[in-house]
Amino acid sequence: MMKYFLYLLLYLTSAIATAESSDWLDNLQIHGFASQAFMLTTDNDFYGDSDHGSAAYTEFGINSSLQLSSKFRVAGQLLSRNAGEMDNGSPRVDYALLDINLISTMNGRLGAYLGRIKNPLGLYNDARDVAHTRQGIFSPQVIYFDKVRDLTISSDGIQLYGEYALPYGTLLFQGGAGYPIPDKNVEYAYLGQDWQGKLKGDNLAIVGRIMYEHDGGRWIFSASGASLELDFNHRPADSAIPFIGITSGKVGIDYSVLSAQYNGEKWQFTSEMAIQDVEFERLGGLFEDQSNEPIAYMFEANYKFTSKWQSFLRYEVFYLDKGDKYGRQFNKDIQAGSNAISFLSGGAINVPVTPSYSRYSQSWVIGGRWDINKNLMARTEFHWFDGTAILSPRENDMTTAKRDWNLFAVSLSYRF
Amino acid sequence: MSKLLRHGLLIGCLLIAPNIAAQVLIVNPQNDAPQLSRNNLRAIFAMRTPSWPDGSALHVFVLEDNDPTHTSFCKHILGMFPYQLRRVWDRQVFSGTGIAPITVKTEQEMIQRVAQTKGAIGYIQPENINSSIKTLGEPL
Repeated sequence: MMKYFLYLLLYLTSAIATAESSDWLDNLQIHGFASQAFMLTTDNDFYGDSDHGSAAYTEFGINSSLQLSSKFRVAGQLLSRNAGEMDNGSPRVDYALLDINLISTMNGRLGAYLGRIKNPLGLYNDARDVAHTRQGIFSPQVIYFDKVRDLTISSDGIQLYGEYALPYGTLLFQGGAGYPIPDKNVEYAYLGQDWQGKLKGDNLAIVGRIMYEHDGGRWIFSASGASLELDFNHRPADSAIPFIGITSGKVGIDYSVLSAQYNGEKWQFTSEMAIQDVEFERLGGLFEDQSNEPIAYMFEANYKFTSKWQSFLRYEVFYLDKGDKYGRQFNKDIQAGSNAISFLSGGAINVPVTPSYSRYSQSWVIGGRWDINKNLMARTEFHWFDGTAILSPRENDMTTAKRDWNLFAVSLSYRF
Repeated sequence: MSKLLRHGLLIGCLLIAPNIAAQVLIVNPQNDAPQLSRNNLRAIFAMRTPSWPDGSALHVFVLEDNDPTHTSFCKHILGMFPYQLRRVWDRQVFSGTGIAPITVKTEQEMIQRVAQTKGAIGYIQPENINSSIKTLGEPL
């Protein structure tokens, strides 16, 4: 589908370029960004080999938007992300869409996006790859997991959007249906490792957000959510080992985010909460009809000392199972399972036991931002973590990852 | 009180007195200059209103984020802060869901671009008003 859409974009762009060469340049906007970060952790790997110091977090993007007529606009962005073991920097189409303006009045509008569209989740998901628009060097990982970034970031489909002016504020909505884009990271995050088989985004998913901006955005409240189902088709090698293999099945994910924010002249307060419902169907082995109900929340206070200097303090929490927040039951079950497998196999198979602290993450973050000029920005942050749930199993052996770890990071970011 | 001290105080007061003259909204002279509410203006400057009531395209011009006229316009006319508009524009530009306004460097350039562009809207300090552009009344 993406391929045809890109052809369409190309066609429309060239058609307009030849037809109205006089002032089409006025309707063209080109923007871009580049960012480089350096990470140092006391233990564990976060964006590369960070406990020895890692610079494996580099982002580049370039986008353009062309207003074809009062009704139609096309826009697209190419993105390259190098994110430790999670992303190798190969360029991809981040979004590519046709924006159709259906109704437009002075009090509101209604429109539709067609193509690859960023998912409107929480206050920050849709532009979180751009350093200038996210809350820190890293988006709060308990809400905006980078370990499953591609799954949540965009989908191929159609979304309606609109705004409506109310007496004291504005009501905004955006939502629709599309095909999710799972990658290897999603497999690691939900199925624990890279299997021979593949997770596929062949089932239509729905996503949407409703938002109220009070008094020009002094207060912002939003509720958003996504519901999707991924099919897993196993290969023979995946189920060769008894007990710990995997067979074909389904992973169903419902994700909701509630957000509230106050925007003052100096102070900004943000709170977001995410509720997930993950169902594993038929996958067999360790996944036998498991279900999880992860819950996460964050609070942040940001203070602007001047227009160039600001600083924030944030608290983030994630529990993989709200009924077993600290993973005690999980640890007991997996220990019993491991013992049983070891016994049944006569000691031939020893399943390493994942510690209980892999099931949660609690952290404090303090950070500073310096806007050197309108294009260039520098940041620094320090994170104190208890628990390893935000780490990617692609970068860490979760059975040996350390419970208490700290992260120091600096970044330099450019945008135009 | 000595003359020197009195003069000093007077000059001091003038220097720290807030600039209370509100910014004036300007439009292209061909525009029939509708009366706009604060909500209308917030939507226009957030780039959420693509066209005027007659259906013609709306073109928004702004000064740079740290320009005192821009800061004052955001605070007093829109009741917002520059960083809020910047965040709305950035989110739209980098998610593909919308666009950013055209940024000009000076009020002279603002007047020139608004005068030349059909459907344009911008703002300036009242002392810079000239006949090449039309002014809009205070928001409703």
